[in-house]
Order: sequence, then structure tokens, then C-alpha cells
Amino acid sequence: MQIVDKNNPPAEWIEALRKRYPCEAEVDRTLTRKMYRRAGPGYTPVPLETLIKGTESLLRAELKGDFEISDARWLSGGASKLQMAFSLTWNRPGTGREKAPMVLRMEPAESIVETSRLREFQLIKAFDGIVPVPPVVAVDVNGDHLPYPAMVYGFAQGVTKPSNSTSKTTGMGTYIAPEWRAKLGPQFVDCLAKIHNRNIPSAGLTAFDPPQPGTLCQELALNMWERIWEEDSDEDIPLLRLANVWLRENAPPCAKPVILHCDYRMGNFLFTEHDAKITAILDWEMARLGDHHHDLAWTSANSYGHYAEDNKTFLVGGFMSRPEFFDAYQKASGNTVDPKTLYYYKVYTAYVQGVISVSTTYRIARNGKTHQDVLQAWIMGYGYKMMDDLRVLLEQGA
Amino acid sequence: MQLRPDISIHAMIKSLTDAVLPAVDPNNKLALEQLQLTIGLLSMMEQRMPLEFKFDCDELDRLLGFAVELKRHARGGEALADLVASETQGADVRRRAQASPAEVVAANRALRAASGAVAASAYRDGTPEQRAAIMKTVLSMSGQQLLRDRAWVMPQGWEAQPELVPPIADLLATS
Repeated sequence: MQIVDKNNPPAEWIEALRKRYPCEAEVDRTLTRKMYRRAGPGYTPVPLETLIKGTESLLRAELKGDFEISDARWLSGGASKLQMAFSLTWNRPGTGREKAPMVLRMEPAESIVETSRLREFQLIKAFDGIVPVPPVVAVDVNGDHLPYPAMVYGFAQGVTKPSNSTSKTTGMGTYIAPEWRAKLGPQFVDCLAKIHNRNIPSAGLTAFDPPQPGTLCQELALNMWERIWEEDSDEDIPLLRLANVWLRENAPPCAKPVILHCDYRMGNFLFTEHDAKITAILDWEMARLGDHHHDLAWTSANSYGHYAEDNKTFLVGGFMSRPEFFDAYQKASGNTVDPKTLYYYKVYTAYVQGVISVSTTYRIARNGKTHQDVLQAWIMGYGYKMMDDLRVLLEQGA
Repeated sequence: MQLRPDISIHAMIKSLTDAVLPAVDPNNKLALEQLQLTIGLLSMMEQRMPLEFKFDCDELDRLLGFAVELKRHARGGEALADLVASETQGADVRRRAQASPAEVVAANRALRAASGAVAASAYRDGTPEQRAAIMKTVLSMSGQQLLRDRAWVMPQGWEAQPELVPPIADLLATS
């Protein structure tokens, strides 16, 4: 059996994986970059001053006219990227001179999900005016200006959870009190429906391979996750091996691929408490084109909701029961929910969650690649519950 | 089992060094000293933990030799009888402790990789009956293993119904 040192991956092994698991071009670029940099240094703390200078360099290249950065400070939240809040005094196109709050979102050396800033930038731009998103300003695709790839967008007001809620990590397990459910739940569903109904050709998504009806979108997604598993995993897990074969054999054809958020859940949107309005959908980095059932399965997964006060009814996102969620979605989107396809994507969701939480978290914490390795190590513990969800799902279908 | 003390300690040291230490008030000498000592002890644990079992076996070997020498020179009595009993018990333990924890982990990892490959290919290429049997076997094994994995990380509080997961000590006691 071939043993590869994944912490110092040989070029021929990286290239063999690229050949074995063809992915979308931008995904391939992002993962390949990660692998060729893996043997390099881990993440070391970046002074705020370095980020300010890098942001100035990026904005000088992207913006017309003079500008000024002030009030820079660190932002916390999320398991994936570093964030710096700052004020930008600039001439906003169509508005004129203003001082606006902004966010720099930058990758660490490796991330719990290694994704493309260009794709994220294009997506947020594509949804401006369709669902609440922060206005995007600039993107540093290859880290030419900043230590790592990054993007700048407007600071959205709001919170990720009500003040009277409790949660575990990165929004998982957030308890939503009954008074918030009716206020936020319908908006939550409505935004998802709008995301899925966004016209793709007019969205300017050049960093995405054009969607194809059939199973190709899903094959590419499975290739990506199997490749990530090979790149990042430490000990092998027969259950995930078997699940991958099952997912490849049972991929349902998709007649009409849509834009998928791929991490649509509590913790990944902001809302203002005084009027209970969703102000920004965030964290688009895993988005792809594919079957709308993927988002439905992900959003309604056990990890991203909790049980109601009766201890029996599972609430999607903490808002509404699964039947209520699917019914509201169908009404809002016009898309149908097919139970068999939904089941497939539930298995897929649990598989992906297993890959992320057990393999990538291990690899990046092992190599000191992030600004919060201790959080990555902590999340590893959740992987077993997610994989048990996968086991139960396969058992139900077997 | 992937979430082991080695990876946890490694991440804790980095967190304390990179994020916490620079944030401690330099005038709070007690807090600074306590933090530096904590980082130092964690660093030592990280380095020494892989050698702990070898250290203990080495000590046991030398104590067994020491007991043999003492028996040659000591007169009888209750204390010598206790020493003989301890030596017998210790020698038995040493006979059974031939493989190191690292070797056990390596054997687990080899078996995981090999069985994962066989499960995937056998399921992909098998007859319907074989596929059903492979699925059943993998799910059954995974159920047992994941129960232990979940019990192992129970202090993290991920379980919605923790009462359904037995204590890890109970699960391991039956093996």
C-alpha cells in the first residue's frame, strides 16, 4: 500500500489526484494551489498594519480616485476566514464621497474549506438587489496585495443570532426562541427560493463551469470532495469510502441546475433585532451550481437546527418543522421537493460534513495552517455525530 | 479515533502562543507567568507523550531486574512475599505489553485503509447479494465504532440526546 506524506505532498501525487478527480477549473486551481503550498509555512499572526497596507494596495489597484482607510480592527466569527473591519472614505460609484464601514475577508494559509475568493466575489455581486448581500468592492484573487487571497465588501449591520439564544460553535446548535421563529423563518425560506431562482446566464459567474443538465454537476462535486478527502484525511474511514461509491451510483439527474449557496443556515446570515429583518446572506464560499435539493438537505440537516419545546419536532434552522419548511419553499420557489432526491442529498450532506469535519480539520490543525487551529481541533469532535447521521441514513435506505 | 491529545495539545499551544499571549496585559505579571508555564508544560507533554509507554515499560524492566537482585540478597518474611507477588504480576504484565500504543494505532490505520478499499471495490463490483452484505457489514462496524468515537468526545457536548450514548469507560470495559 502506497503511503504518501500528505504534509509534504510530492508533485506527481498532486498531479495524479488532479487527473483522477476532474473538478471545475476554478476549484481545481484553488485545490492545486493549496497542495503546492502545503509543505510551506503554517499561518503566523498577521499584524493589523500589514492588512491595512495590503488593503490599501488592493484598493489603489481597483478603485478610481483617492480613498482613506481608518478605524481598522479585528472581527471574530466563523471557522474559516480572517476578517478585519474598517472604515473606507471613498467615492462610491453612483453615490459620491462617503465614509462607509467595510470588511476585509482573507484566507489563512489553509482553510477548513479551501475555496475561491473570485467565486465568492462573483456570487455576492450576482445577488445584489435580489437577496440582502453586502456590496462587494474588490477582490485579491491570488494574494497579490495581501498575504493570502482576500476580498473587500461592505459591512452589514446585524447579528447572527438573537441575544437571547445559545449556540455551540460557528452557529451550529443555535437555539431560536419561539418569538423569533415567525419573524425570521419566512424570510429565511424566501431568500433561499430567490437564490435558487436567480437566472444563471446573466449572473456573470465566469469562475464557474457552465451548468449541464444530467448528473455532471454532481459528478464534479463528488470528484471535488473525494479529492479533498485524499488530500487531507489522516486515518481512513470505510463508511465514507462506501458512501462515496453509493453517491456516485445513485446520483439523480438534475433537469435544471440552480445556484446553490451550499451552507445556508443559522450563523451564515445577519439580521437586525429591532425590526427582525435579514440584512445580509453571508459565507457564499462553498456555493456551486447543482440540484436545489442539495441546499434543502443541507439546510434541514440535524446539525443546523434543534428540537422544539415538545422535544419531538425538529425545527429547520430553529424556525419551522421539516414539512413546513419544504412546503413553504415549494410555494416560494415553484420548485418541487422530490423525497427520493432529497434523501440522496441528505446522504450527500452527511458525507460532505464528515469529510470536512474529520479530514480537513485534522490536516490544517496538524500543520498549524490557520488563525484558530484550536477551533479546528474542537470541530473534529463533531465529525463523529455527523458520520453517525450518514450511517443512519444509509441504514434507512439499505 | 482521530481527535487525540497530540493534535489537541498542538492546537492549544498555537492558540495560547499566537492569540492569547500577545493579548495579556504586560503589567499582569502573575497571569503572564502562569500562561508561559502553561505553554511550557503543554509543549513538554506534546514531546513526551509518544514516549510515555516506552518510559513505563523500561521502568518496569528495570524494576523486575531489581526485584530479582533483591530476592537473592534478602531474607524471607512478609515483605519479601509481597515483592515476589508483585514481581510475578509485573512480569505477567510485561509479557502482555509487547506492542507499543504506536504500533496498535499503526495496525488500526493499516486495517482501516485496507478494509476501506476492499469495502468500496467489493460494493462497486459485487452481485446484489454481495453488495447488500458489504453494506450491512460496513454499517454494523461503523455503528459500533462511531458509538465509541461519540462517547470519546462526549465532554464537548455535541449530542442532542447524550443519555443514549454510554460512557466511554463502560464501552471499553467490555472489549
